[in-house]
Amino acid sequence: MSTGVAEHDTKHETLPARPPELAMHFDNMHQQFHSGKLGMWLFLGQELLFFCGLFTAYAVYRGNHQEMFHYAHYFLDTKMGAANTVVLLVSSLTAAWSVRCAMLEQRKGLLITLALTFLCAGAFMVVKYFEYAHKLHIGAVWGGGFHVQTADLPPELLAKYPEMTGEKLKDMGVGSFFAVYFCMTGLHGLHVLVGMGLYIWLFIRALKGHFNRRWYGAVDNVALYWHIVDIIWIFLFPLLYLIG
Amino acid sequence: MSEAHAAHDDHHGQLPGTIGHVSPWQTLVKVLVTLLILTVITVGIAQIDLGRLNVVGAIGVACIKASVVTLWFMHLRYDKRFNFFILIGSFALVAWMIGYILFDTMLYQHNVQDYKRDRQAPATP
Repeated sequence: MSTGVAEHDTKHETLPARPPELAMHFDNMHQQFHSGKLGMWLFLGQELLFFCGLFTAYAVYRGNHQEMFHYAHYFLDTKMGAANTVVLLVSSLTAAWSVRCAMLEQRKGLLITLALTFLCAGAFMVVKYFEYAHKLHIGAVWGGGFHVQTADLPPELLAKYPEMTGEKLKDMGVGSFFAVYFCMTGLHGLHVLVGMGLYIWLFIRALKGHFNRRWYGAVDNVALYWHIVDIIWIFLFPLLYLIG
Repeated sequence: MSEAHAAHDDHHGQLPGTIGHVSPWQTLVKVLVTLLILTVITVGIAQIDLGRLNVVGAIGVACIKASVVTLWFMHLRYDKRFNFFILIGSFALVAWMIGYILFDTMLYQHNVQDYKRDRQAPATP
């Protein structure tokens, strides 16, 4: 009986120390990290397919109604779109930098980069708010609800087509463009809001002293999500704002 | 050119036992500058009327930007190959769906036009 106890004790001593961050269903930190990352990539692959439906709708509408897209693109402010592109690209840098800080265990740097990413996302939403508010105000909305007065038409549009009226645009079905526009940018904006929530969560965890060189999966995976949101915008910006 | 720099940075920066590859901050900044330059290029191209080439150019530059983001910001260059194939597979499905549906809708477009014309015909005999 005493030998049994002795055996049990030695067995216990030879077991490698289990890091407190290692979940019970993983063998080691590597497996835990790469499993999480695999799951994230599968989710991101699915996110692209999710947005693909809207890009397809865009392509079909555009392919069949080029003139509608031409007139409608005057309603979008390229400067605001470009500003948002720059803001999102900078936030992608800070997101990538936050992963670097987490890996190097630079807590202060991690907190700063997480906060900056959140602020850039916030700036994006503020610009988005002004764009949406203006469109809703003049009545540039989806489907049959489109009711822009001729006086409210973009000056560039009237300068090039002086005979254009709000009625003509409505009959042409420009509301369909705005249905596509609001669905695409709205779904993207929703992703930005989710990302902002995730960055608050990461910030609180970083404040609590979570994350180290072998346990930074959450920072890495949220950054991956954030980069995909950036990539979607990289396609949305030229397709909606630039080509007319 | 940045290889020596990267190795230098990693040698000094990376803590022992770190999982994954630490990106040197110089690389990250270079990636951002590249993306900003590409943004300027895409806005510039859009100001010139090239007809159908405008769409091709805009999507082409966007694809380059997306590749730069995935390869460096998303670490795909240093990641497991399997994750790379998930992304490529997803993009292939996206291209297939958009391409096939566009092809289909264009193929039947003349029927839609004929239908519209036929409906207008009795009204103006």
